[in-house]
Amino acid sequence: MRDTRRARLAVGLLLAAALVLITVDHRVGSGPVLGPVHDMASGIFSKAEQVSATVTKPVRDFVGMLRAAPEAERTIAALRKENAKLRTEVASLQLDGTRAAKLDRMLGLAGLGRYRVVPAQVLARRDFPGFEDAVEIDAGANDGVRPDMTVLTGDGLVGRVVRAAADSATVALLTDPAISAGARLEGGNQIGVVSGLGEAGGGENLIKFRLLDSTVPLPPGGRIVSFGSQRSKPYVPGVPIGVIQRVESLPGDLTKIAYAKPFTDFSSLDVVGVVVQAPKRDPRDSVLPPVPQQAKQARERADKRAGRDDEAADESRAQAEPWAQMEEGRAGAAPGNRRPRAREAPRRRPAAAGAARSDGRN
Amino acid sequence: MLRNLSAALIIFAALVLQVSLVNRLLGAYAPDFVLLTILTLAALRGPTAGAVIGFCGGLAYDLLPPASHTLGQYALLLCALGFVVGRFGENAPMLTVAVFAVIAPGLAAGIGALLGNPGVTWTVLSSAWPRAALCDLVAAPAVVWLLSGRYRLRRRGGRSGSTGMGRTTSWGRGMA
Repeated sequence: MRDTRRARLAVGLLLAAALVLITVDHRVGSGPVLGPVHDMASGIFSKAEQVSATVTKPVRDFVGMLRAAPEAERTIAALRKENAKLRTEVASLQLDGTRAAKLDRMLGLAGLGRYRVVPAQVLARRDFPGFEDAVEIDAGANDGVRPDMTVLTGDGLVGRVVRAAADSATVALLTDPAISAGARLEGGNQIGVVSGLGEAGGGENLIKFRLLDSTVPLPPGGRIVSFGSQRSKPYVPGVPIGVIQRVESLPGDLTKIAYAKPFTDFSSLDVVGVVVQAPKRDPRDSVLPPVPQQAKQARERADKRAGRDDEAADESRAQAEPWAQMEEGRAGAAPGNRRPRAREAPRRRPAAAGAARSDGRN
Repeated sequence: MLRNLSAALIIFAALVLQVSLVNRLLGAYAPDFVLLTILTLAALRGPTAGAVIGFCGGLAYDLLPPASHTLGQYALLLCALGFVVGRFGENAPMLTVAVFAVIAPGLAAGIGALLGNPGVTWTVLSSAWPRAALCDLVAAPAVVWLLSGRYRLRRRGGRSGSTGMGRTTSWGRGMA
């Protein structure tokens, strides 16, 4: 009897302690009270995780290799084909050298707005549906990493730093349902909010994109870049986020919802970069990868079909005012008097501007 | 003393391996070895020790670096579960651990929902809970077998050697 009472007392005390911890952490966050505790714990654990990640790397590599084997077979075949094609292209490319130099000078402008990035390796990962989706990286405060910095890979946005210890940092992934970021449609000024879906995102880790203006068309295949936060914290502008896969249209809704496939492969994160210095200027769409060949052709065909009547109208205007088109192209898809045709407009205009530019150069 | 130290070491190893190897290898289909280890230890050691192990292990799980949830969630959950499992798990540790390994993911999500976590919805639960439970069930026998084997070995040694440790164990068994 005495013993059960003792056991109950112990359990009661411990449960109360847990509740106090939850309350303190929930109300004050990891400020002066729990900050040192967190720091100490991540100091100890990150060392162990580092060691464990190094020791178990062969195991992970081996399993990854097995998993990638069927894919690799196809990749090899595709690469062989591509190699042959590239070899023929190289010859013609050398002729284009002088033109490339010109292009370089132009692109140098975009290069002004580069990100300064600290590379890091993923050490550990946790995902509990609903709770969190986070990774531990091996760069920390000593490398200049601070909370609320953007994390990216070569493909696109990964997430943001939520906590930085001395030699390690915790990164909340974009797929975490608690994370949301400002985003912008490629080639326009339409902005929206990207948020993680967590478990509901399925195997492809889909994310949700909510466009704030429901009148703007939202084409599947459209690409999203980050809009950037105030003073670039936590998100720097211009980082590619993903490609829209399907659009959910709810008539009469104030916002439009689309589901996008992220450029980053969240199931195999390994090397990431932390943006320690934001670009001086918004790089707009310049960081996006080139449009895939098939999609581009399909898009051009669609534009040609839909844009024919457009062109007739534009041509007369262009003759009167040669620079008008270029101005418009630069302004992107500014909503104007041609609202009904806005679906084609944001895609067609940059092409038109490009044509105008190349005309000018010749 | 040695028993507590080895329990702490086992939990520490489970924590580190869970996030740096298991989660990264298996992704969404990773069993929660930390949960299983703590439940098994609790089942083998009785209610009071189970509650303490659950609290400490849960707190460590909350502090384990890539963590962005509120501190104390797992401490609360595992402390309560450790007590209950210790209470019922003396006779059939395998069954008890399996049952609570199925229940635990749902309870964890419930605590998250109480704290206003936006990701916990019915659609998420309906797909994630069965999957997590199944993964835990698959891994549970191995963990229980491994740990109870170790425990039995050491307990036998403790009984034949010193009396203090043996007496504590029999006292714990008599209580349940």
